[in-house]
Amino acid sequence: MFTKLYAATWGDVGKAKEKGFFDFDLFSWMAWTWQTASFFIFIALCITVMLIWEKKVPGGSPRKGILGLDTTRGDRLFISLLGSAFIHLGWLALVGSLLWVGTILCIGYAIIVFRYV
Amino acid sequence: MNKTINQKAWYFVIPVFILVAFNAAIPLMTVVNYSFQETFGNNVFAWEGTRWFKQILLSERFHAALGRQIAFTFIILLIQIPLGIAIALTMPKKGWGVPVCLILMSMPLLIPWNVVGAMWNIFALPDIGFLGHSLNALGFDYNFTQQPGDAWFTTILMDVWHWTSLVVLLSYAGLNSIQPAYYQAAEIDGASRWATFRYIELPKMKKVLTLAILLRFMDSFMIYTEPFVLTGGGPGNTTAFLSIDLVKMALGQFDLGPAAAMSLIYFFIVLLVCWVFYNLMMKNEAQS
Repeated sequence: MFTKLYAATWGDVGKAKEKGFFDFDLFSWMAWTWQTASFFIFIALCITVMLIWEKKVPGGSPRKGILGLDTTRGDRLFISLLGSAFIHLGWLALVGSLLWVGTILCIGYAIIVFRYV
Repeated sequence: MNKTINQKAWYFVIPVFILVAFNAAIPLMTVVNYSFQETFGNNVFAWEGTRWFKQILLSERFHAALGRQIAFTFIILLIQIPLGIAIALTMPKKGWGVPVCLILMSMPLLIPWNVVGAMWNIFALPDIGFLGHSLNALGFDYNFTQQPGDAWFTTILMDVWHWTSLVVLLSYAGLNSIQPAYYQAAEIDGASRWATFRYIELPKMKKVLTLAILLRFMDSFMIYTEPFVLTGGGPGNTTAFLSIDLVKMALGQFDLGPAAAMSLIYFFIVLLVCWVFYNLMMKNEAQS
């Protein structure tokens, strides 16, 4: 077992690694996975959608929501994302499995935030 | 009349954007990537899913470090904010005393963190340090390297010494911005010293105090260097605040995955508190 581990790490040092299509040397140290990459693509998409939304309906539609806070669309996105992080963490701590249920909760939470906060 | 719309100035933001990308966004993304994987070095990673997050959230070690951190921050805020206001109230408002007080107050703020730690370490040593030796000579059983209570006392005293001046300077600025007319009106109404403080000075200082609490909260919540140099998180783990525990995990044990998960949880807590304070400050702004 240890020879295997050894081979998988230090044994590979001098060898030419087989490259995947997305394995750029510039990024390989960042240890990307498709899961985390899709998360960041989702964030980038959110920001792009916000930009387009702002172009279509300028001004950010400010209002005083149910929390008594003056929020714009950007604030609502921030509250949704930060709240989702805590919902996911809470789900992991209290339930531990079936994380996608937590994700569905987050989507509901985000809809409520965009609607009323 | 039509205004010409020219948004080209936005291009000037590009250098800052690139800078922030390199010093904040890319490292943060890497931490997110690490937090879902296990590594033994040499850039070889294995997917672990949410295992590290679960482990950290349920670990007693993390709960203890978070508890210590919250207790520390709460205690220093409880001491520094009232003490800072009290000192600011007693500082002279004109004459030669003003520059003397201001310079004396800013001195501790100018000393680098690790120097503060080293200074207090030597100052508090029970055998040769002035504080430690004096306390022992007075009959107190004081030894911050071995007794948790003494270690906490010394760490808190050090932080109060280092940072109360910041609260003082901010409160002093807030006090000085109050128009004399308010005090005159209070005098005419026969207001007591306490009433003047409660209904004139305190409301007028609200903005700077929110800022002071936010700054002191953030700094103390992320404190690392001073307790690291003073106590090294000891004795045992009793002064291992979140940052110290995090560095132990990441660099001491080379548990990069759990450490990354822990830093993200830490980051979310800081972000939440920042957001709350930001909203409080904006509310104050809207009121005035």
